[in-house]
Amino acid sequence: MSERTRRPASWPRPKVKRVKTLQKSILFGAALLACGAFGFTWRDIQSGQLPSGRPVSNLLGVKTTAGMTPEQVFKQAYNQIRYNYVKPIKATDLKYAGMQGLMSSLGDPHTLFLPPRAAQAFAEDTRANFFGVGARLGNDPLGAKASSVFEDGPAYAAGLRANDVITGVNGKSVSGRPVDEIVDQIKGKEGTFVTLKVIRKGVNDPIVMKIRRARIVTPTVESKFFPESKVGYMQISQFAEPTALQFDKELVKLEQNDIKGLVIDLRGNPGGLLETSAEMLSRFVENKVVVKMRGRDGREEVVRTYAGAVREFNYPIVALINEDSASAAEIFAGCLRDYGKATLVGEHSYGKASVQNVFPLVDRSSAKITIAKYYLPSGTFIGRKVDEDGVFVSGGLEPNVKIELDLDKDPTPGDPKTDNQLARAIQVVLEKQ
Amino acid sequence: MSEIKKSLVATSGVVLAMLSVLAGAKVRDLADTGGAERAERDPLAVQTLVASRDNAQEVPEADYFYEMVRLLKQEYVEPIKDDQKLATGAIRGMIASLGDPKSVFMDKAEFQAFLNSRQGTYEGIGAEFALELKGKVNKDVAKKLTPTGDETPEEALVTMPRIPRLTVVGLTPGGPAAKAGVKIGDIVYSVDGHWVVNSDLYVRFQQARKDFDAKKIPLTELNKIRKEIRDKTDRALLPLKAQDRLIVGTDGTVNVVWERDGSQRTTLLNKAASTMPAFSVGPNGVVNLRLVAGAPDALKKAISGKREVTLDLRNNAQGDFGIMKECLAILAPKGQYGAITTQRNEKPTPLVVKTGNPSPPKLNLLVDRTTRGAAEILALALSNFGKAKLTGGAMGGDRNVVQIVQLTDGAGYTLVTGIYNVRADKKAGIVAKAKG
Repeated sequence: MSERTRRPASWPRPKVKRVKTLQKSILFGAALLACGAFGFTWRDIQSGQLPSGRPVSNLLGVKTTAGMTPEQVFKQAYNQIRYNYVKPIKATDLKYAGMQGLMSSLGDPHTLFLPPRAAQAFAEDTRANFFGVGARLGNDPLGAKASSVFEDGPAYAAGLRANDVITGVNGKSVSGRPVDEIVDQIKGKEGTFVTLKVIRKGVNDPIVMKIRRARIVTPTVESKFFPESKVGYMQISQFAEPTALQFDKELVKLEQNDIKGLVIDLRGNPGGLLETSAEMLSRFVENKVVVKMRGRDGREEVVRTYAGAVREFNYPIVALINEDSASAAEIFAGCLRDYGKATLVGEHSYGKASVQNVFPLVDRSSAKITIAKYYLPSGTFIGRKVDEDGVFVSGGLEPNVKIELDLDKDPTPGDPKTDNQLARAIQVVLEKQ
Repeated sequence: MSEIKKSLVATSGVVLAMLSVLAGAKVRDLADTGGAERAERDPLAVQTLVASRDNAQEVPEADYFYEMVRLLKQEYVEPIKDDQKLATGAIRGMIASLGDPKSVFMDKAEFQAFLNSRQGTYEGIGAEFALELKGKVNKDVAKKLTPTGDETPEEALVTMPRIPRLTVVGLTPGGPAAKAGVKIGDIVYSVDGHWVVNSDLYVRFQQARKDFDAKKIPLTELNKIRKEIRDKTDRALLPLKAQDRLIVGTDGTVNVVWERDGSQRTTLLNKAASTMPAFSVGPNGVVNLRLVAGAPDALKKAISGKREVTLDLRNNAQGDFGIMKECLAILAPKGQYGAITTQRNEKPTPLVVKTGNPSPPKLNLLVDRTTRGAAEILALALSNFGKAKLTGGAMGGDRNVVQIVQLTDGAGYTLVTGIYNVRADKKAGIVAKAKG
């Protein structure tokens, strides 16, 4: 192609020409290489990203004895399962299952991958408002049991009461379905209707009710005054955004009764926002450590209560805890104990001593990742330890007064007649006077 | 250089340049996928997984994995040292999501024990297990019944998700389990005091609740079951975890409660190595055929010159599909012997013998419910096409074609890739269905 080919091979070539040709071919080769490199990094460039070294090391990795990179191992298994499994598989389901497995391989029960649906539910949970009928549902073999019905919600207005069991939604049976799925069916656009089939203890025929969906602000704090003992009772179901405000409101309501003591019920409270917990603790102490958080590379961060929000409590306080009290609830109870503001009654708490950050991902999934471990003001680490079967070994807050819930009384939480833990808490708070 | 030539050089230069761009992109694909076949690639790969925009985007799986690992490395409270462990975890998650008792993930020790058992060497109590659904389901009832919440427990069993039970399907002769009187079909109820999860307890609870609501039993009775559920689930083992405790290790003891015909018996077993008889010809001329490496050659020798042969396919749950095909070609003449079907939108793959044995001996196969997997497929293929007579009970009902994959760190998994059907036009049925 070049001039070279036209000369007989034996002819000595002029030196200059040869150098030039050499230069040319080097240049041309370099240009080709550059083009190849451009092709190699095209995906990066297209997505507005600096070319990364990862694919190059992948290429080299194939040749070395190190074997495949973890990414290649994953990809190969993914393809294997996706295309060879006997049944058809949805690509996204498989991908998400892989991510869930990846996260759980760390052995930390709180580092989780949340696929889009779960991520959305999680976001709604912490915001404590969503469109629905205004009821909290729990597991029941026959469908879903209303564990509480919000008094200002549409379900209450339509006649739904706590302990009713929802067995049908919009004419379809939901018996045996997981409660999350039933909740999904009940939720919907604001203003639309949902029909529930409900069975109630003592009523023979199922009750059918039509309920208009509305925006629901979940009450996270509910209070009750017990006139016999003159003790105020406050149930905090989680630490969400509006919880501190609701806490203040309920306190004012209770204090109108000249209470002799306060029982704060944190049983079953899974926690929520650390900020809310800190804000509520600011009513008790100011400029005090709530938790010390230790992140990776020993980074330490201290969360304190803030100044100017302290109020007076002229009565003793008891916090009720159990194994389902976790995270922000444990911080709240632990700080009250450490600063001598409350006595803990009940059973040991869960023992969640780590902080998670939720990273929203581009496909609407989320990654919930443990970013730090925390220590209470007294310096205790309450992290839960379990044996190989996941059975509790140690951790959590130990109550000052230990008492187990007596199931044989068929307890309704918040009723001192059947709820023996609450009865004991009232007794303890009255003794403290 | 003439103008034409110059432009020729220029053109070919451009073409070469373009080709090298394409080649570069291709190499990149290979680099990203490790040469994994059938890679689908989104040209607009998203490089940052953490959302910065509102519109949802799809992220291809390899990028997803890479970015997730990077995110964890940046944010997780403890340093992440072992990326390979993350990949293995992801694979475990993917396999688990199939919810298929025949597609299982095994860690290094389990996988090694599994591979050894395929060669006839067993650890633990010397038994093979399968996950089987128990309890009769009346299909007519299932069709008619729309759950209302008022079902009897028996009816509820039809609609409730049933948990498969860990069932003995093979025993090494003289092994710890066989010595202790364990029989084929026995179900593991508990291991070392850990209850193996099954649905019976919940059905019992449902019944008790009904009785309580009808004021037939007092609350204390109901609470007894509640407490039982709490205590049991506190220390429960999922069936596959329970299996691990029974098939891995050659020392120590294990306490197992077995269920047989509704009654329970407890055994204390010493774990020990035991073996399944290898390929052998008995004094009566019966050939004990195990579908593992070496079997085809031995089989060829054993049948040569014989006019009639009896093959024992019992206690045969771990056969290899590839070896089975080789054996089929020794025992049957050229032809098609059914097909491997899937539930995907794919054509069945015919099970074909290319050259085969033009004059095979008359075959008599001994089978029962311990004849499973590759052995069961062999028996079905031979008998349904008139090449053999079956003697014995119904077979295990497991006609799955299982692929075995070993990962770089020694762990591995099995994957059901198809189901054998005698008729090629049939779609794949239910995986690992129990029979008899």
